[in-house]
Amino acid sequence: MKDEELDALLRERLPRYTAPAALRARVAQRHASRHDARRSRASNVGLALVVVAFVALVLLFGRRVGVDRDTQSPLVTEAVNDHMRVLYAERPLEIESGGIHQVKPWFEGRVDFAPIVPFDGDADFPLQGGSVAYYIDRKAAAFVYKRSLHVITLLVFPSRGLPWASDRVTAESRGFHAIVWRAGDLGYALVSDVAMGELESLERKLKPTR
Amino acid sequence: MTLATDALAHIDALFHVARYLTGDDASAEDLVQETYSRALGAEARFARGTNLRAWLMRILRNAHIDQTRRDKRDVRAEVEADELPDERDEILGELARGDVERAMLDLSEDARLVVLLDLEGFSEAELADAMDCAPGTIKSRLSRARSALRKRLAAYARREP
Repeated sequence: MKDEELDALLRERLPRYTAPAALRARVAQRHASRHDARRSRASNVGLALVVVAFVALVLLFGRRVGVDRDTQSPLVTEAVNDHMRVLYAERPLEIESGGIHQVKPWFEGRVDFAPIVPFDGDADFPLQGGSVAYYIDRKAAAFVYKRSLHVITLLVFPSRGLPWASDRVTAESRGFHAIVWRAGDLGYALVSDVAMGELESLERKLKPTR
Repeated sequence: MTLATDALAHIDALFHVARYLTGDDASAEDLVQETYSRALGAEARFARGTNLRAWLMRILRNAHIDQTRRDKRDVRAEVEADELPDERDEILGELARGDVERAMLDLSEDARLVVLLDLEGFSEAELADAMDCAPGTIKSRLSRARSALRKRLAAYARREP
């Protein structure tokens, strides 16, 4: 049995366990209380010093700070942030999927552009639905696909005015894989914790054949 | 986004791996809680821009090793599987779902972990980070684990009527 066949067998028949909601809530609660406790310990004097130091740094090195941020690909950072908002939202889908022909029209009047998404979803990447998201300074159409139990977010947004370093960027950020690309007036961002190869496979399905 | 918020996004993957390391839900929940507790305690040591997912998995693995030592549980040996004969591939198609899980649980903990993380899409560098070993040894470790799993699966398939 080849490696790919073994992988397929495991993906198909090995049960996938997900964290119980109660565990998720306990961990989140514990993080929140720890964060609050730490914040309350910070003295006002300390905070004031930090603010003064930050303002001084911005005034002295403002230009350099701006350049550094650009090199950290804000397009990827924002795409990952949006994906995490989808993961944590109580109702991540505003429209449940009845297929792309039901999801795409739902965006009419909700975003000021027509998202071009030629892929209807299939057995490997079933389309779950969509919602309106915000990408940097503009509205975006968020489509949610699945790969086994992994959530994949596709963001579609107007591409003009964004700091594109190239027409296609792939990156790993905070444990997620991301692909961001530009096609004419629209930009696309795919984000998930699936392997990059699987994300690229979905990317190919999303790009119309010429 | 804080490290805690970022880390919470990986809770499903951590629980999935923890469940296969511990074998039951309650122990897996304890292990995941301990992992997050350690991760937050060591937050200052996490280098921003490095791989959070692999870092969390390494913490989970270490927490599990500590827990196992405390409980004085037996850690299964990987060598048993090597003594099993190879089987025809087509028999594997008859495996029941429970057999695949049992075959996985029969592996040694490190073998189980490397196969699970590989399935999660970890690169070799991430695997080495999570398993706390040299990148050069990951390929052979994964290959041995896969081989052991194949033989286990064949053994279960042979028992089918």
